[in-house]
Amino acid sequence: MGLNVGIDFGTSNSGVAVYRGNQVQLLPIDSRNLVPEVVKTILYITSDHRYFIGQEAVELYYKQNINRQRRFVKKWAGEIDYHGADMHYVRDIFVYVDELQPGRLLQFIKTALRSEKYTGTQVFDRFYSLSDIISVYLRLLKQRAETLLREEISGVTLGRPVKFSDNPELDRKAQETLHQAGLEAGFSQVDFELEPVAAALYYELSLNKPANALIFDFGGGTLDLTIMRLGDPRERRVYASGGIGIAGSDFDRSIITKRMLSHFGKGIVHHEPQIQKLIDTVPDWAALPELSTPRARAELEGAIQRGLAPVRLKALESLIFNDLAFSFYNMVEGTKIKLSGEGVAVARLKEKGLDIWELYSRSQFEKDIQEHRGQIQDVLLATVADSGLEPRQIDAIVKTGGSSNIPAFTQMLANIFGMERVKASDVFSSVTAGLAIKASQSS
Amino acid sequence: MISPDKIEEWIREVEERPASAALIIQYIANRLSELATREEELSAENIELLSGRRVEEYESRIANLEYQLELLKRQLGGDVILPVETPTGKPTPELISVVVYNPLGQIIRVEFEPAGMSTGARIGMLRGEPAPGEMRVSVLATSSQEELLIIFDSGRTVTLPAARLPLDEPENLDWLSAYLEEPRIKEELAGIIPIAKMPLFDTCVQASRRGYVKKIKISFFTSHLAEGYIGTGVKLPADRTFGLTFATKDDLFVMVSQEGFVFSMPAEQLPSAIEEVIHLGITDHIVSVFTAGQKPSLLFVTRSGKAVHRDVSWLEPATSFKTRGQPLLSKERREAGTRIAGAAPVGDGDWGAFLHGDGRLTAHLLSDLLASGSVLPGQTEGTIVSFSTYSVPIAKS
Repeated sequence: MGLNVGIDFGTSNSGVAVYRGNQVQLLPIDSRNLVPEVVKTILYITSDHRYFIGQEAVELYYKQNINRQRRFVKKWAGEIDYHGADMHYVRDIFVYVDELQPGRLLQFIKTALRSEKYTGTQVFDRFYSLSDIISVYLRLLKQRAETLLREEISGVTLGRPVKFSDNPELDRKAQETLHQAGLEAGFSQVDFELEPVAAALYYELSLNKPANALIFDFGGGTLDLTIMRLGDPRERRVYASGGIGIAGSDFDRSIITKRMLSHFGKGIVHHEPQIQKLIDTVPDWAALPELSTPRARAELEGAIQRGLAPVRLKALESLIFNDLAFSFYNMVEGTKIKLSGEGVAVARLKEKGLDIWELYSRSQFEKDIQEHRGQIQDVLLATVADSGLEPRQIDAIVKTGGSSNIPAFTQMLANIFGMERVKASDVFSSVTAGLAIKASQSS
Repeated sequence: MISPDKIEEWIREVEERPASAALIIQYIANRLSELATREEELSAENIELLSGRRVEEYESRIANLEYQLELLKRQLGGDVILPVETPTGKPTPELISVVVYNPLGQIIRVEFEPAGMSTGARIGMLRGEPAPGEMRVSVLATSSQEELLIIFDSGRTVTLPAARLPLDEPENLDWLSAYLEEPRIKEELAGIIPIAKMPLFDTCVQASRRGYVKKIKISFFTSHLAEGYIGTGVKLPADRTFGLTFATKDDLFVMVSQEGFVFSMPAEQLPSAIEEVIHLGITDHIVSVFTAGQKPSLLFVTRSGKAVHRDVSWLEPATSFKTRGQPLLSKERREAGTRIAGAAPVGDGDWGAFLHGDGRLTAHLLSDLLASGSVLPGQTEGTIVSFSTYSVPIAKS
């Protein structure tokens, strides 16, 4: 009989934890990540069907795709039937496929569970059903956890949102797929717990009478809000749930768009459209390797020769072709995290022809994410309204996820509910930790 | 860049959180110190420029180029009338670049100093299989100061100086880390040709793998080059662009096939429209295209490494198109599977860079090769994938 673990299988990030001897141990499941207890929910499948997850997947994706050769071949993709009033004809559809593509990067896997139509995807010569994709990811998580714990893992408690879908049939199907994937990944026992319940589990254990709580789960990819009655597991009740697809990675993108693009030539001179396109792609980490083509290099070199913001464009060339994208995105994320603790930080990267120095303050950051803050406040107030409760009727705000530590959001919660009700985010209040506690109870 | 807007934002931060002031001052002070160091380095570089040391370096490079131009004109028999004085000092040694490339657009370059090199010396090692899946791999040896023309089989061209190609680690050459001149959709890299001497010729002759040629006047050709498109030079769908060579009107154009058939014809008589000048067997294709120039002999190298020598006078120039070509190999040798890896005109003191089937790149003095009769003397196994000749510049004291 092996161990039982809790796995938070998130949209952008995942985590694994185990509860032993009254202690939650969040496993450093991705040693290459800035926060090792969090692993990106990213799967990279190479053309020879080897699998990589998390930061390793991102690094390999960059390594295999920057400066790589491409060869596009025309392939038949299907046909379209045209029906007119008095005619009908069929047209073949061809697409150009890069036959030298070394691998496929799969992101937002969890989102696919909500889809009615998505059944899977063709990866080179094999079709992967959605449960295949998730099971590959979970299996690698399990293997890493077993290596860290030096013990076999047999059971898992997986987190699930309050609702995958408003359609009950689809919601049931999504959990079934996740259950099937867990079994295929090698877990002999697969249980589920609602993510907000898991996040508030430690808080719930401390309650001696029922209370209303808002679980503010704010991670890398999404903000999930749940207002529920906690205290007695038999009488748990979800008043309302809501959320928005804005979180840490969007803030990183805002920082890059508003503060970093000038380092690569934006706004310095009027660029040609193809150069402007290269600059505008910088915030999208997954698209950056696709820019590393000889044609793009030639266009950049041409603009540099013509003296169009040559120093900035040289920096852009370094970012794209010197495999620096990775250090760059980590630097931006690191600066953002630093601003949660201090009022000012320096975004600094000096490597292989790239020399960025940007003094960045918390007030600048808050200004840069002003639009997102507004959207988040709106969805927060709408969820409270949906619950039928007044803000003063909510006894506690349980914060979880890395982005919930951003002072602007703590302040937003304090303004609406009162500072005394906002519970600090710590290791026990994470979804992963709650799932681990739950898993230990199931074993 | 620190703009007034940013300073305003920092002031706002200090107004909101006074504790940030100390941090801001500290960060800016560190930055100023860093910039001061950098400024000092730049000032030192500026002094070098102003004192003329950098100018001397550039003058030396220009002198070297002029020296090479003089050599070139001597080689072609022209008078040397240079607008500037030839350098009196010893020129910097000319380096040879060996460029290895494949249809995928992967290009490897190694560079070496030819002076003092012993014949058979190893100049590089291509790790892994040099020509995976029978992929056509070619070698070009040329001066590092050459300008190169890269031709794709769509007729598209790209020009760049040889020195612009990144240098690879000679003992650790690998297609995976090669420079990539990326082909576009459905394109393949057909050939790389040195073009620095192009203005000294009258015509450019473009050839296809199936033995079709067309000649283009240099004046037209240069304008096509400026557009980056010279045409495919092929007629048949199954045919592919092979490469091109430059010729004066008196030059003898030579084309050699893999099965050892040789076509030759005075460049002046070649067709201006695409014509099949040699009718090749179904499995045969062109492996070398060149003009004999002033060189006295021809070197043919088989895939098994045999060096076959013929005087230029051996060539029987064709008088019509669609000929079968002049056979170099006997029918028996051809049927036994002997195939030509490449051919080139050879003069005294010429060298060749050879890519072996095991990935070795070696340099050989061609006169030695003609004497021994093989690139792989005493070896029963081993193959030659491709080769290219080069001349070692005569040193001038």
